[in-house]
Amino acid sequence: MSTVSGREVAVSGAGSAAERRPEAARGGGSAPGARAVSAPAALLRLLGSEIGLTFRRPRNIAMLAVLAVVPVLIGVALRAFGGPDDNDGGGPAIFTQVTGNGLFLTFAALSVLVQLMLPVAVAVVAGDSVAGEAGIGTLRYLLVAPAGRTRLLAVKYANAAVFCLAAVTVVALSALLAGLLLFPAGPITLLSGGTIPLFDGLLRIGLVVLYVAAGMAALAAVALALSTLTEVAVGAIASTVVLVIVTQVLGVIPQLSGLQPYLLTHWWSGFDGVLRDPIATGDMGQGLLVFAAYAVVFGSIAWARFTGKDVTS
Amino acid sequence: MSERTRRGRAMRWGVPVAAIAVVAGALGAGPVIAAVQGEPALPERTAEQLLADATKATRADVKPMSGTVIQTASLGLPGLPEVAGMGGTSPAALLAGSHELKVWYGGEGRVRLALPGRMSETDLIANGNQVWLWESDANKATRIKGADARQGAGPEKALPTAATPQLTAAEVLRRAQADTVVEVTNTERVADRPAYQLVLKPKDGASLIREVKLALDGETFVPLRVQVYARSAAEPAFEIGFTSVTFTPPAAENFTFTPPAGAKVEERTFGARDQESGAEHDRAEGLRETIKTVGEGWTSVAVLPFSEKDLKAGLSQGRGGGQSDGQGSGQGGGQGDGRGGQDANAIVDALLKSAKPVSGAWGNGRVVQTKLVSALLTDDGRLLVGAVTPEKLAEAAGRR
Amino acid sequence: MLTVQEATVPSTPPTSSAEDCSIVTRGLTKRFRGGQVAVDGLDLAVPRGAVFGFLGPNGSGKTTTIRMLLGLAAPSSGSWELLGVSMPRGLPAVLSRVGALVEGPSFYPYLSGEANLRRYDAADPAADPRTATARIGLALDRVGLTAAARKRYRAYSLGMRQRLAIAAALLGPRELLVLDEPTNGLDPQGTREVRALVKEIADEGTTVFVSSHLLAEIEQMCSHVAVMRAGRLVAQGPIAELRAGETVRIRVETPDTAEAAAVLAALGLRGVRSGDGEAGAELGEEAPERVCAALVAGGVAVRGLAVQRPSLEDVFVGLTGEGFDVDG
Repeated sequence: MSTVSGREVAVSGAGSAAERRPEAARGGGSAPGARAVSAPAALLRLLGSEIGLTFRRPRNIAMLAVLAVVPVLIGVALRAFGGPDDNDGGGPAIFTQVTGNGLFLTFAALSVLVQLMLPVAVAVVAGDSVAGEAGIGTLRYLLVAPAGRTRLLAVKYANAAVFCLAAVTVVALSALLAGLLLFPAGPITLLSGGTIPLFDGLLRIGLVVLYVAAGMAALAAVALALSTLTEVAVGAIASTVVLVIVTQVLGVIPQLSGLQPYLLTHWWSGFDGVLRDPIATGDMGQGLLVFAAYAVVFGSIAWARFTGKDVTS
Repeated sequence: MSERTRRGRAMRWGVPVAAIAVVAGALGAGPVIAAVQGEPALPERTAEQLLADATKATRADVKPMSGTVIQTASLGLPGLPEVAGMGGTSPAALLAGSHELKVWYGGEGRVRLALPGRMSETDLIANGNQVWLWESDANKATRIKGADARQGAGPEKALPTAATPQLTAAEVLRRAQADTVVEVTNTERVADRPAYQLVLKPKDGASLIREVKLALDGETFVPLRVQVYARSAAEPAFEIGFTSVTFTPPAAENFTFTPPAGAKVEERTFGARDQESGAEHDRAEGLRETIKTVGEGWTSVAVLPFSEKDLKAGLSQGRGGGQSDGQGSGQGGGQGDGRGGQDANAIVDALLKSAKPVSGAWGNGRVVQTKLVSALLTDDGRLLVGAVTPEKLAEAAGRR
Repeated sequence: MLTVQEATVPSTPPTSSAEDCSIVTRGLTKRFRGGQVAVDGLDLAVPRGAVFGFLGPNGSGKTTTIRMLLGLAAPSSGSWELLGVSMPRGLPAVLSRVGALVEGPSFYPYLSGEANLRRYDAADPAADPRTATARIGLALDRVGLTAAARKRYRAYSLGMRQRLAIAAALLGPRELLVLDEPTNGLDPQGTREVRALVKEIADEGTTVFVSSHLLAEIEQMCSHVAVMRAGRLVAQGPIAELRAGETVRIRVETPDTAEAAAVLAALGLRGVRSGDGEAGAELGEEAPERVCAALVAGGVAVRGLAVQRPSLEDVFVGLTGEGFDVDG
């Protein structure tokens, strides 16, 4: 500790000299625009701080760990008990294929996790982003720093999107490793019956990761909008999760099948288009448009709410 | 509240309102653009000219093309519990909800049909005399022998209910007879292409069908969409049409198929799949001869000697021969494929549960009515089916 | 007892040229959705370089005012300027030059003190990341938290948290410091340190705006003061002026109360009162020693004589109608 504080003293000694310079530069009612840092660099610095905060937070690390463990559990279960017997048609065929080709564990794990676990993880981070800061009072200090409301919101959303990509990547990588360790690997049989080499298969996994992350980022916009409505983070998180579940229930009611193309959850599993031959770019493109529409609508709601709101906590 | 803050707030909330408007606009843009461009873009044609052109186009080689077909069925079948949400590769699932079918047509007997499901796909690939049925769910490739795609519409018929627009259109064209009011419009847009629309309305009020609309591509006369409207609903009860179509030759890879390593490979002969169903097939052939039709045109009623037991047996076994002869557009819907046996049983159970007992001078029986088709199963062992009101069925039951 | 008429309280009128003021508000009003008026037509003028005490009982609208000044809450009506720039348009540019402690410390519990400061520094677009470490070290040093810099905020005592919040307000070179109840939770030693720190900062030329419900704190630190009562400003100006507006009384302890009163009256003093072993009057311009001589000459048995200068507390109790927690 003594060495640390010794360093501190040395640093502050150097700091006082460093500090005087900007003060002198600003002295006598200097122009407010005279900045030592460019606006994009400052924005990146805030984003870096935000990302650092997200990935250093024990809760978020725990969620990522759970997301990483699930594909391994699925793999181990399939290895131990074999795939579902294809004659009784008990499970989706994708699980049967895992035992033949480890790469399919990635698709199988994502198709399972995209239903609820990934959305929950995203809801926790994005739903907490504004409401959580308001709840512990750090929001007012960020705003008087001054972070700027629009700027802060943009950084919050970018951070949520980064977390989405990270969460999906963690699942994919964990599933890929577990699949390669537990099962044989080789050329991938597409859903259309064609076969592509292993390397192409890995590229397509990359596409799947990007698509699913985009879908999660659309949910993050919804969670962010809810997050600006409350100072109780749990409220924003829970309402996002409830919304996801309600949407999924709506999606499976046959009488409401006309509603499906408008539901966010309907498009999440659209990543199977990557496994078709040719790749179903039309369907997946439509999915990406739906994601973008959700992000724009709910992002703008979040913006309108957050820039006009009195911060009272 | 100061004037400035109030105005600021209104302007802020204007942004999400505008965003919603833009998204809603993008969703509605298709119909709006269609409406704006609804001025006659195509030269006028009479129904006869159009039918002639269409028939010519159907007979001649269709240009190579590819596209996406959406089939929507809202037949009003009473309660199909399991089947409706099945996701799509089960043929029985086509009876309810909305389904997507990808079509590639390369000319010269090269066809690929793909029925995508969630994390699964069913493909039918025909390349000359090479015909493969690939079911990713079962990891099974079936080579269908004895079918040559160059001879007529064999492979198209092999894929059960979801036929291509061409096939369905040909069926509708045959019905354009004296008992039909035929109209033509030249302002339709289907799959973003200008199209003619042929509207066929049955004159007989006993028909359950209000009208059948057939959209033909303005340039190639390829049928792009078929809609069947029931009298009881404003939305089409059955619709099959392209949502996107391009008339450029698709990549050759679409028509080559090699069973992937590790897949089960089976062989079947088209028409008589295997030994066990051979007898069944014969029985079905025999059945075809015993079918009588009462009435004509839109209101014709098929009369079959049938009992409830036969019905179940017939559906859960191989495909009966009865449905390919075009007796009623909805009739094929009641018939499944061998793979859909369980589903078919579920449908039959559901249907029978909802059947209403009826009686008349002809005897007693039970009647099932959907939006497009009524069926009457009499206690004396006859099944009457037609796209007509139950009253008309009862009338037909009286005319022995 | 003292009677203070509000009219006698000197109040600096809002200067038309805000050049020499760090904070100017004109008719600043906050009406909550329920219709309750938290701040009503506030006209503040905080001179540059002043240590400005913002005094009022809890619930008088001090914190709401500070929230509006810093752009956290939008005023229902009125306008304000910070450092000569019209708000809220100038907020992004000006707030970098303003340090603030608003309604107690708030930090991320799972981060160290240093990491917390780095986080707030990153939020300021004008802060130079190259000097961040140095500035953070300096700020920690000024509040005496250097030794605890690496400790998690969760483990900080109440006093340490308060110091860290002050350090956050000192992260950059500031022209204005807004401190809302800065000595809350601090022990007497800590309070003294904060007072010394405020003086040091003020000596560097920074305007300090301190809100408090503690009279003693304001009295010892501030050059200027404004008093809030139920959302309204009841007085503002230099402390010396506020005091000067008050009357100094002389009090005579004597058994001969009637005679004493007569002598006081004869001297021309006003507000003469007597009874219960003592007599008194407003001293006015009269010198106390002359009064004493007159009393003795008038045969009054003077047992004790006292000049009563009113404390600031008396002034504010009169202004606000409420007592202050004098000792804090």
